[in-house]
Amino acid sequence: MVTVPSPDAPASASSPSRREQSRARYPDETGFIERDGVRVFWDRYRALRDETGNGRTILLMPTWSIVHSRRWKFQIPFLARHWNVVAFDGRGNGRSDRPADEAAYADTEFVADAVGVLDAIGVERAVVVGLSMGGGWGLRLAAEHPDRVEALILEGAAVAIADPVPGKRNPPADEALDEYEGWGKYNFHYWRQNYPDFAAFFFGECLSEPHSTKGTEDCIGWALETDPETLILTDTAPYLSSAPSDPEASEPHVIARAFAARVRCPSLVIHGTDDHIVSFRHGEYLATALGARFQPIGGGGHLPGNRDPVRYNLLLRDFIRSLPGGSR
Amino acid sequence: MTTVAPPPLSNDGGRARHPDRSDVATSSDGVRIAFEVFGSGDPTLVLLPSAPIIHSRQWKGQVPFLSRHWRVVTYDGRGNGRSDRPVDPESYLDERFVDDLEAVLDATGTDRAVLIGLCVDGVWRSIRFAASNRDRVLGIVGFAVGVPRLAPPQPHYVSAGQQFDDELPTSDGWQKMNRHHWRRDYADFARFFFEEMASEPHSSKAVEDAAGWATDGSIDAMLANHDAPFDMTLDEIEATCRSVRCPMLLVHGSEDTCQSPARAHRLAELTGAPLVMVEGADHMIPGRHPVLANLIIRDFVTSLPTEGTER
Repeated sequence: MVTVPSPDAPASASSPSRREQSRARYPDETGFIERDGVRVFWDRYRALRDETGNGRTILLMPTWSIVHSRRWKFQIPFLARHWNVVAFDGRGNGRSDRPADEAAYADTEFVADAVGVLDAIGVERAVVVGLSMGGGWGLRLAAEHPDRVEALILEGAAVAIADPVPGKRNPPADEALDEYEGWGKYNFHYWRQNYPDFAAFFFGECLSEPHSTKGTEDCIGWALETDPETLILTDTAPYLSSAPSDPEASEPHVIARAFAARVRCPSLVIHGTDDHIVSFRHGEYLATALGARFQPIGGGGHLPGNRDPVRYNLLLRDFIRSLPGGSR
Repeated sequence: MTTVAPPPLSNDGGRARHPDRSDVATSSDGVRIAFEVFGSGDPTLVLLPSAPIIHSRQWKGQVPFLSRHWRVVTYDGRGNGRSDRPVDPESYLDERFVDDLEAVLDATGTDRAVLIGLCVDGVWRSIRFAASNRDRVLGIVGFAVGVPRLAPPQPHYVSAGQQFDDELPTSDGWQKMNRHHWRRDYADFARFFFEEMASEPHSSKAVEDAAGWATDGSIDAMLANHDAPFDMTLDEIEATCRSVRCPMLLVHGSEDTCQSPARAHRLAELTGAPLVMVEGADHMIPGRHPVLANLIIRDFVTSLPTEGTER
């Protein structure tokens, strides 16, 4: 008798999230960069077959530090068949440090980390892929470092660029409530009380499609690799809070438009029509502002790269192949 | 014989691979069996249905992959899908199902084929057919090895069977496997049953699909099938298994809720067939782990002796 493990068997029955899952592809090189005493961990995967012969690199940005670079587990093995791929753990999760001050989590720091990683691996320009907050950081990177960004791909980008919609707003996240239900769980007091439940709620909203239990479980596991105090710092740190050309601007959509106006590279915007985290209209507006190719995902939630990886990967492949110098 | 017309089927749009031919074979008792043919490679693989509880879409995870390489034949078993739905127990005798396979082979012009099946409906019927049609079976891949009586049935089937005809005060758990509950709320049974059959984490899609195919079927057919007698003795069953000469591969989940691993071990002993035990897997391996199942099938078919060589 031959015994084989069930493909979805947890790594360890007693503690499924604590041991890393086996990977379809392991990095060829890993390393840290260090800036202001904060170490940021990166992984590099070499193209199995360099399609364009020009050593093109895909930079997978981190997103909100509630997850880390394993978030790209479905993209790395596919993209790295054709191109070099580099991913890094955003400060605050994974193998990167968890600095204890808010300023260390400013958007400018994540952008500087991206530049630092490209410098460390000796890559001049990369195709930059960003999800959610990583979309905002990718946008800022492309706006401020146009020489480092060959093209920009944004997935469910947390860029509040559409006209604001007046209406009821959630209470501030630092205000204690009598009870924490639904989006009321997006609250620092509740994170300190029951962080795993917040993570379960949040990723249930991110992966709003049916049959998303595996994706949700993966994300919760990554979330539990950081802690609520770190996450609070990431949430209160500056994020697209001032515009490059208009330092007086304070409204998010004005700031976002100012960044978008400075982006010159080709871009692709992917957004789920059922995104519960960043409303679809922001994706539509962002695509228009960037002059981007726009790809709605009908019925898709916030994380199509996790939930519909095949479709998502093919969108990325086709876009990257369409870039100048990207012949087949 | 009374039959009812099949209604439209659930989840039947958007297939990854559409059939090259859809037609109907007529079985020995006149029941019409709907079949589909995909691809043209050699040899032909026949995917047996688990009928009448579900129909041929149970192989949706296999057909697109296998038909790239080989000719694939699927069919709806009597009582579900687009096949006839007789409602008398005589129509659901074991022999009738074996005859359905023969009718499909004949109607598709298939002299010899690899038979692939799940549970009693797929594995036992393949063995029974191969025992009496040696020249028509190139090999058998049996998932969730279901051969009656080779080892004791699962305890929940024993208790449900004893109360099947009783009006029960409650319908909790396996009490849903009950004549009256089927009449009252068959969809509730179907959902429960497939949650049990696919008990691994992250099986919600497999459960939803199978429960949908179950409710495509007919409660009258399910009851007739339940009421059909099966009177082979253990000795007769074992002799049938031993008489199979073609290559065979058995694949079983260590957590199979329907067929105990003991049945798989016993069939492996009787036939000398290799057994792949999937640790942690339940009953629905092809639906729940299609990549694993497909690669196992591919490797088995590739390993078969080519035509003309001594077997």
